[in-house]
Amino acid sequence: MTPEVLVFDILAVIAVIAGIGVVVSRNPVHSAVALVVTFVNLAGIFVMLRAEFLAAVQIIVYTGAILVLVLFVIMLVDMDDLPEFHGGAPLQRLSAIVIGLILLGEVAAAVLTRTVVGQPGPWNEETIAAAGGNVQVLGQFLYSGYVLPIQAMAIVLLVGTIGALVMARPDEPTTRAGGRTTGTISLGHSRGADLVALPSGAPPARVIHREDMRDGLVMVTSADAYTEHAAWAGTDVPSEPGAAEYPTGAGIGSEENR
Amino acid sequence: MSDQPLWISFVVGFIVLNVLLIGMAYMTWAERKVMAYMQDRIGPNRTGPFGLLQPIADAVKLIGKEDLIPKFADKRIFVIAPLVSFVTAPLAGLVIPFGDQVTIAGRQINLYATDINIAVLYVLALSSIGVYGIILGGYASANRYSLLGALRSAAQVVSYEIALGLSLVGIFIISGSLSLVDILNQQRQTLDLFGTGLQIPNWFIFYQPLAFVIFLIAAVAETNRLPFDLPEAETELISGFHTEYSGFRFSFYFLAEYISMIVISLFAATLFLGGTDGPIADGAWWLILKAMIFLFFYIWLRTTLPRFRYDQLMGIAWKVLLPLALLNIVVTGFVRLAFNNQLW
Repeated sequence: MTPEVLVFDILAVIAVIAGIGVVVSRNPVHSAVALVVTFVNLAGIFVMLRAEFLAAVQIIVYTGAILVLVLFVIMLVDMDDLPEFHGGAPLQRLSAIVIGLILLGEVAAAVLTRTVVGQPGPWNEETIAAAGGNVQVLGQFLYSGYVLPIQAMAIVLLVGTIGALVMARPDEPTTRAGGRTTGTISLGHSRGADLVALPSGAPPARVIHREDMRDGLVMVTSADAYTEHAAWAGTDVPSEPGAAEYPTGAGIGSEENR
Repeated sequence: MSDQPLWISFVVGFIVLNVLLIGMAYMTWAERKVMAYMQDRIGPNRTGPFGLLQPIADAVKLIGKEDLIPKFADKRIFVIAPLVSFVTAPLAGLVIPFGDQVTIAGRQINLYATDINIAVLYVLALSSIGVYGIILGGYASANRYSLLGALRSAAQVVSYEIALGLSLVGIFIISGSLSLVDILNQQRQTLDLFGTGLQIPNWFIFYQPLAFVIFLIAAVAETNRLPFDLPEAETELISGFHTEYSGFRFSFYFLAEYISMIVISLFAATLFLGGTDGPIADGAWWLILKAMIFLFFYIWLRTTLPRFRYDQLMGIAWKVLLPLALLNIVVTGFVRLAFNNQLW
């Protein structure tokens, strides 16, 4: 057994075990981590096949970008909120099996036509070295012979991005502004302009009711009876002039609503 | 590909990794000293002359700390996550050329561990694996602040990695290679500026000033340093993804951050400032000097700039750096095409 075969065996076995782990682990984050392990080992196999560029792209695109986004979403979801994460409805299982078989068939067809039937492509190590290397050959192929498919893919991705943006957008701009319940602290925030201006001036003084007084203390009868009572206003002072501009909140402690 | 035996590459790699670790230890010392002088303080001065033994004291302290694992943590991932960050950080140092060749005991030894033909992509790939340490650590801590830090980190690193990668495309267009050794060798010629007899070095910063600025900003964000340290933001997230980590597990994150700073500084010096090329006596010292300038810049930024707000952070990546990087690629491509493979 040469060292290369040994290294390949190690990489392949780990990749397969991790691949099984993706399917069987109960925690979606563990599945994602197992997928990372699979990808890294696949990249190692690509390197052994002298496809270093493919290995780097595999890591950068799939491991570094796509899986990070997948984890991003998974981490926010609690495991207990996903009762049908494993198993699922019979229709889901059936469609999963069918699609899996179709994909397996496609890969098998590609592998069989190339190796068993014996139609190797024009490239081997010598021709690639003569053309200047992996990266150069890939670049020339992708951007000369396959320019149109590349452009078509780019357009599909662009459409997908725009579609996602449209779907994520709230329905009406007005509901966005009205639905905002929390303001922002930063005064220079550009988005603060669509909020209602903060009321100025002192809030109205609250009238303390005789029946609430017990030995000089104010006994509160309901939870929000005095919640907006300003600390600086006197206890028995009626409404000051200028307090009228202050918008009284609906029902909270105003005299009429008690 | 170099034709030296594999074991020599292993030895060189071993030396590089250990030098990086020592460099990291003294990076923490230098950072404290420089920050202290910038803030009109003295900094560490008790352990050894000029506080030079401070990193060792820190290491002893960190080993002595209790190793805590939170009760509701995802234990396996909690243990693995810091190692992911720590292992991937120094590996990128292996492709950085520290010089040509030296002859030791009749053997020609290359001063780099390996020269792979996609070295630059390899460095980017390693940094994109390294982010898993932060994301998984934040997730496994079972702490909301840690999770927020992890989410910020995921979004930040994915965004800035695009700017980082695209800023380097201009260099690839000029040099026609992804190998750091090739890129370095191209920068070691002298450039006769417009035929006037004015000699300047053929460094890529003169061809790609915009890409250099984009790379510098994205590199700071990529290493989670101030003013882009939103994932750990002490004041709002209680240090984010590593809130629950203590002792030596915490120090793995700490080590990883400083090592990736050093590595990316070496990387920037090799790509843009001509690496080991200098006015007199080319050698690794020029590379180290240039890297130290970048490291000083990191500390300088930290003491000068406040942290960005999160929407500003994303805005810079997607609305400023990305369009500029794309513009840089288009302009570089046209210029290269117009001058038919020879600039100026």
